[in-house]
Amino acid sequence: MSRNRIQTHGHGDAEMRAVLSPYHGVTVSRRRASHWLLIAVICVMAAGCGVRFDMEDQPRYETYQKSDGIFSDGRASRTPPDGTVARGHLNEDKAFYTGKIDNPDLNAQVESTTDASGNTLVTSFPNAIDEFPLPVTRELIDRGEERYNIYCIVCHGPVGAGDGMIVRRGFSQPPTYHDDRLRNAPVGHFFDVITNGWGRMNGYAASIPAADRWAIVAYIRTLQVSQNPDQALKMNTNTQANTQASPAVEEKPAANTNTSGGATQ
Amino acid sequence: MAQFFQKGANNIARITMIMGVVVAGLAFFAYTQFSRSSYITGQYVELQQPVQFSHRHHVGDDGIDCRYCHTTVETTASAGMPPTQTCMNCHSEIWADSPYLEPVRASFRENKPIEWERVHDLPEYAYFNHSIHVAKGVGCSTCHGEIDNMAAVSQENTLQMEWCLSCHREPEKFIRPKSEIYNMQWQDNDITAEERLKLKEDYRIRSRDMLTSCSICHR
Ligand code: HEC
Ligand code: HEC
Ligand code: HEC
Ligand code: HEC
Ligand code: HEC
Ligand code: HEC
Repeated sequence: MSRNRIQTHGHGDAEMRAVLSPYHGVTVSRRRASHWLLIAVICVMAAGCGVRFDMEDQPRYETYQKSDGIFSDGRASRTPPDGTVARGHLNEDKAFYTGKIDNPDLNAQVESTTDASGNTLVTSFPNAIDEFPLPVTRELIDRGEERYNIYCIVCHGPVGAGDGMIVRRGFSQPPTYHDDRLRNAPVGHFFDVITNGWGRMNGYAASIPAADRWAIVAYIRTLQVSQNPDQALKMNTNTQANTQASPAVEEKPAANTNTSGGATQ
Repeated sequence: MAQFFQKGANNIARITMIMGVVVAGLAFFAYTQFSRSSYITGQYVELQQPVQFSHRHHVGDDGIDCRYCHTTVETTASAGMPPTQTCMNCHSEIWADSPYLEPVRASFRENKPIEWERVHDLPEYAYFNHSIHVAKGVGCSTCHGEIDNMAAVSQENTLQMEWCLSCHREPEKFIRPKSEIYNMQWQDNDITAEERLKLKEDYRIRSRDMLTSCSICHR
């Protein structure tokens, strides 16, 4: 580009405008106005994009998002009133969901003993079922091992001796699974302990679905045999078990790949 | 009319044009750096939490599994945050009088949730789901770093789209056996590239085209 061309171009442009404007004045000024409008709109839109976040932060509540001012406790959703039954959660199969016999006698007398340190230990469990309400398979026990190692190992220790890490840090020592009292306890009792808690141990129903709780019970039975090989393995399944148990069983994710450890029969 | 522009003006014009391009380039570069900076992405920024909860103590020292607290990470989009009840499973007895835990006890007494500050937060137009990543062999530490070593959680990665895509383009570089998902020390080259390719086949991970399709994350 030579110096001349730049200048000529500049002047030429001005001349052209000067020449054309008498004829096309209105059109040009409108076109010019519309250009300015377009530019202005683009500027406003660009500015808009910069300061508005309604796509980042949409008018709905995400999981765990705080509700501003709607509910006094800050939660965005409500806890259903007690006794509400969600669709598909009628849980009619008592044995499967409570580990208890059909018509539990709430006033049944339980036997108990006192251990060396003066704690009362319950030794009879009249209302607990004695048979698994679902088939016990290798997959169930493997699943139980995995779940036990997540939720129970921290207190009960790797083989259930009651020597987990949290106990070493000061939590009350749980009883070992390997004494006659718990070896002879019916499976329903273990299920009940996991579901509702027992003494100083809290219940785990909120974290562990029923099918997984049964898997853990199956694994505890396996541990008991692994520590006392002479014991007969009591894994009898109630063949009349209500078939309503099966949907919940299918809920469980595919069996894990971790098959090491004491899950042998 | 006298010449308004002197001869030197041409050089000025040229320099101005070159400078314009250079400045625009620099500005763009600065913009890309700025938008990737931790000021924008929140990477490595530690937030003040209502309770000084430490993953190093609970996971590193005490060996509690992630799923003890983040119970839904295998089954739902959200990893799940522990309800106060979960803390009380242990803190009903351990450190039961500690002033550090007063907010936890208050929350339990008053049935009011503890308000944690969110560390990882995607914009709401992007969809993320934990369960599929865990099911297809992407471990927590690939995205969150060595959580078991963090006294306060901070974001290990930018969580920007380019980061998601860097893995969705070639997931075979990052996947691991399912038994190692919760192993915070796992390194990508703990198994060979062939083994990872085999895993990709076993997990039936879909093609690059499908995993980089916009509607997977923007639905
Ligand atoms: C925070 C520590 C802790 C965790 C985690 C824990 N428990 Fe316990 N558990 C205890 C304590 C403490 C006791 C003794 C309770 C008592 O007698 O007051 C106990 C008792 C038991 C008993 C014996 C009940 C009896 O008849 O004496 C069983 C069975 C049991 N737990 C099973 C489990 C299972 C299964 C899990 C995993 C889902 C689990 N526990 C997780 C602390 C824990
Ligand atoms: C004892 C319960 C507990 C365990 C075990 C636990 N976490 Fe957490 N986690 C929490 C709590 C409480 C928070 C919220 C406070 C915070 O951000 O530090 C949290 C926060 C997080 C966050 C940040 C969430 C956000 O705000 O974006 C990540 C990521 C995380 N945990 C990953 C893990 C991983 C990975 C493991 C297993 C190695 C694990 N956690 C084990 C309780 C736990
Ligand atoms: C499985 C048992 C367990 C659970 C569940 C648990 N903690 Fe702890 N926590 C401990 C133990 C054990 C310690 C002592 C840490 C140590 O010295 O290693 C502790 C220590 C603490 C401390 C004090 C740390 C310090 O060193 O000052 C805080 C705060 C705390 N926990 C918060 C929480 C919160 C919040 C939750 C719920 C999200 C929670 N914990 C759940 C076992 C647990
Ligand atoms: C593919 C990457 C990736 C993997 C693998 C991953 N996370 Fe996350 N995690 C994220 C992202 C992204 C978010 C932010 C989600 C949001 O803002 O909606 C997040 C959020 C979280 C949160 C906060 C609560 C929530 O769900 O929003 C926790 C807790 C968490 N992750 C724990 C875990 C644990 C435990 C694991 C391992 C089992 C894990 N994450 C594996 C990417 C990942
Ligand atoms: C380290 C690897 C990795 C990272 C990082 C990662 N992903 Fe993925 N993602 C995967 C794999 C592997 C799959 C499973 C693909 C399959 O099943 O074919 C997947 C699947 C998904 C799916 C489910 C696709 C579907 O069709 O349902 C979504 C959604 C998704 N990722 C979103 C994200 C987002 C958003 C991010 C970034 C915040 C992200 N991912 C980061 C590896 C990753
Ligand atoms: C693997 C998941 C994933 C896929 C596939 C994906 N995105 Fe994104 N995208 C994201 C995430 C996550 C963000 C938010 C990034 C952030 O927070 O900065 C995002 C942000 C964006 C943004 C906003 C950028 C900004 O800074 O405002 C646009 C536009 C976008 N994506 C377009 C697309 C298009 C077009 C495609 C298809 C070619 C696509 N995305 C595919 C995950 C994805």
